[in-house]
Amino acid sequence: MLEIRNLIASYGRVLAIRDISFTAAAGKITTVIGANGAGKSTLLRVISGLEPATSGSITWQGHSLLNKTPEAIVRLGVAHVPEGHAVIASLTVAENIEMGALFRRRTHKQDVRVAISEMYALFPRLEERRNQLAGTLSGGERQMLAISRALVSRPSLLLLDEPSLGLAPLVVEQIIATIKQLCISTGLSVLLVEQNANTALGVADHGVLLSLGSVVADQPAQLMRADSALRSAYLGY
Amino acid sequence: MDTALTTLFLGTTRGAVFALAAMGLVLVWRGAGIVNFAQMGQAMFTTYIASSLIISGHGYWLAFLIALIAGALLGALVDLAIMRPLTRRSHTGILASDSMRATVPVIASLGILGILQSLAGMFWAAEERGFPTPVSDVAVKAFGKTAPFTNFDLFIIIVVALTLVATTLFFTKTGMGLAMRATALNPEVARLSGIRIGRVRTLSWAISGVASSLAGLLITPSANLSPNTLDLILIVGFTAAVVGGLNSLPGSVVGGFILGLLIAIINVYDAPDDVFLALLVFLLVVLILKPSGLFGSKKVRNA
Amino acid sequence: MPNHKRTGIRNLLITAVFAIIVIVLGAILDPYNQGQLAVVSMLFIGVLSVTLLTGTSGQISLGQGALMAVGGYASALTILNLGWSMWCALAMAIIVSAMAGLLLGFAAARLTGPYLAGTTLVLALALPSLAIRFESVLGGDVGLSVDFGNPPSWLISAVGEIGYEQWQLYATLPLTCLALLATANILSSRTGRIWRAVRDHESAASLMGINVSNNKIITFVVSSGFAGLSGALYGLRGIVGPSVYPISLSLLLLTGAILGGLRSIAGALIGSALVVFLPDFIEWATKPLALSEQIGNYLPGLIGAVLLLLTVVLNPAGIASALHRHK
Repeated sequence: MLEIRNLIASYGRVLAIRDISFTAAAGKITTVIGANGAGKSTLLRVISGLEPATSGSITWQGHSLLNKTPEAIVRLGVAHVPEGHAVIASLTVAENIEMGALFRRRTHKQDVRVAISEMYALFPRLEERRNQLAGTLSGGERQMLAISRALVSRPSLLLLDEPSLGLAPLVVEQIIATIKQLCISTGLSVLLVEQNANTALGVADHGVLLSLGSVVADQPAQLMRADSALRSAYLGY
Repeated sequence: MDTALTTLFLGTTRGAVFALAAMGLVLVWRGAGIVNFAQMGQAMFTTYIASSLIISGHGYWLAFLIALIAGALLGALVDLAIMRPLTRRSHTGILASDSMRATVPVIASLGILGILQSLAGMFWAAEERGFPTPVSDVAVKAFGKTAPFTNFDLFIIIVVALTLVATTLFFTKTGMGLAMRATALNPEVARLSGIRIGRVRTLSWAISGVASSLAGLLITPSANLSPNTLDLILIVGFTAAVVGGLNSLPGSVVGGFILGLLIAIINVYDAPDDVFLALLVFLLVVLILKPSGLFGSKKVRNA
Repeated sequence: MPNHKRTGIRNLLITAVFAIIVIVLGAILDPYNQGQLAVVSMLFIGVLSVTLLTGTSGQISLGQGALMAVGGYASALTILNLGWSMWCALAMAIIVSAMAGLLLGFAAARLTGPYLAGTTLVLALALPSLAIRFESVLGGDVGLSVDFGNPPSWLISAVGEIGYEQWQLYATLPLTCLALLATANILSSRTGRIWRAVRDHESAASLMGINVSNNKIITFVVSSGFAGLSGALYGLRGIVGPSVYPISLSLLLLTGAILGGLRSIAGALIGSALVVFLPDFIEWATKPLALSEQIGNYLPGLIGAVLLLLTVVLNPAGIASALHRHK
């Protein structure tokens, strides 16, 4: 499981995360929601090592992730899909996916090939376009590609940052459903940051509500979804 | 007609060497975001090493190989000892300014150039040196006619062609090549994919070091070896890289050949003194009309 | 008293103090060091051009030496072909090099970082070949001969006999003071603030309504005028020719500016003194070691390059900033 204790971090000169503590259970989807500027993206970037933390602790399955490099954290089984369909536009679809598996090629040569074909099975549209440049893909396909790049490394924890951004609701549904299926079948743990609280709470097992860098609520998703006072105060609906 | 052919071949062989120099610059620009003005200084230094080995009796090919290895090591050393600490400094004080952060590595590379030239002068400048060619340096004779090029010219073109093929295969077909391309295009996504971008960058510097060493070994026979011999190559290599597009490896190669021809034409049909002027004019024209170069893209590098 | 008047008076005082120190030193030093001090004063103006261009406005140029050459040739041609006095020639040097700076500015305002550095480097290498191309006018490889002339009689009657090196120093001094005062005023003025804004954050500056490219061009014009004046004085030591303004001169100015401190006048002064007196110091310090001529020739260059590298890696703001911190 993922354990965050008393985490403090800044984004530039702004104190973005002010003493956050929560736990994300293994094999479950935990969603972190809240208004813009609540610190959600910064949280993921601190967990994956892109941004430094000032103090506190981040532990995944007993390993401390605090202030390790992203390269080391990926090797501990934590994969981060940053917001904005982070793919490399001038590389092909195949190269983008292969990139995610590079660090395992020496140790798990066979499994890498299996993992890559699993990604194509998961997202058949990517297989059709495997030799196309990633920049020519539609938004939804790019998001699928970004997720594949992360999943091909066989992570045990997936950090998903606003996968629904700029995508049609139908596409979002499809992607979220695929992720949910993966959780159930492989025991993948997911930390899902979302602007669209409704969708997120609909698919998640647990919810953490952030406001201005602090945890305001930390409860099972169904309870959070039903709490209309909470929703109107922090989520605007 | 004869002069035209000679000029064409001269331009092509010189162009091949300029292409190598330009490639070295582009490799480091793409891999590390720095234009390495010390590059041909490194080449000069490794050529001196090769020359010293040959003078003390070792074979050409052994010296050649050692020069290339020295080039790789020197490139890696520059990155590890200087460029990495430089870019790791926090953005405070004078480095808070965007333009200063872009300027500082340029000045550092000039410092490295100065050090290499001074050291070379101290170690080796006492006597003037030539540098031998591995194959015959006379014009090729075939079918009873004298061709406008020598065996050595052929050697240069073959070596450069092989290097281009090897580089292309490396970047498109190998895992490390993919890692290098990814690191150059989007370091953040590369890191999240588990790529150790620090090591990848050092490798870019090492490969660039090999390319520039090779350029130095190939061009030096046509001039005497001195600490300042290769200064011109740096300028031409830079112009070639800019003309082709600093972001594009194939572009830098094309740029090298274009400039090779341009300089050959000026040397033969005009005066050698005008070369720098011609370079300046050409450079300004390209920068004004198409700042990103012939093959470059307008994409901004992600920091 | 309003703030800008106070700074204006302060700048005048600083200049006056500087002038007095130089005059006193000029009177007590031996002729060789008088000559060296004169060179410091000349190069100081050139280093100030780097302080303005790179330190204040953030644009790197490896071609200041070429602009010095422009000034040198302009003044030499004015004296030799037009027969004008040295002072008019110096004024011409400033004007002509400022115009060259205008042209350079048009090309350079659109370039940044390595593109600008590389282009100015090519310029620095291309300009000397113009001298060879137009040999009849510009004197080719050999160059043109000019000098400071003799000290005016009123000065001799006032202070007694003046040696040649001393005259070089005293003739240069008023121009150095002018450059010093001008720089001080620019740095403390609104123009200086605009240039610093462009240097620190170009996009933010343009959002604030600053015309970035116009200001960059102005910076080039001003700094080129400084460089031209410096080059003209430098050439008056005896020859204006390609060998007097090699590419290493551009690097010398840059090294002086960086070592001393890129952002302050004090830094420029420290840097100028350093690049002029360091070779002398090294020669004096290594005399007991009896180094070979080969090593001796290249040692100042090596030490200079090492200092440059160390400065840029460890303390990019230069000596002046380190002194400032310990105040």
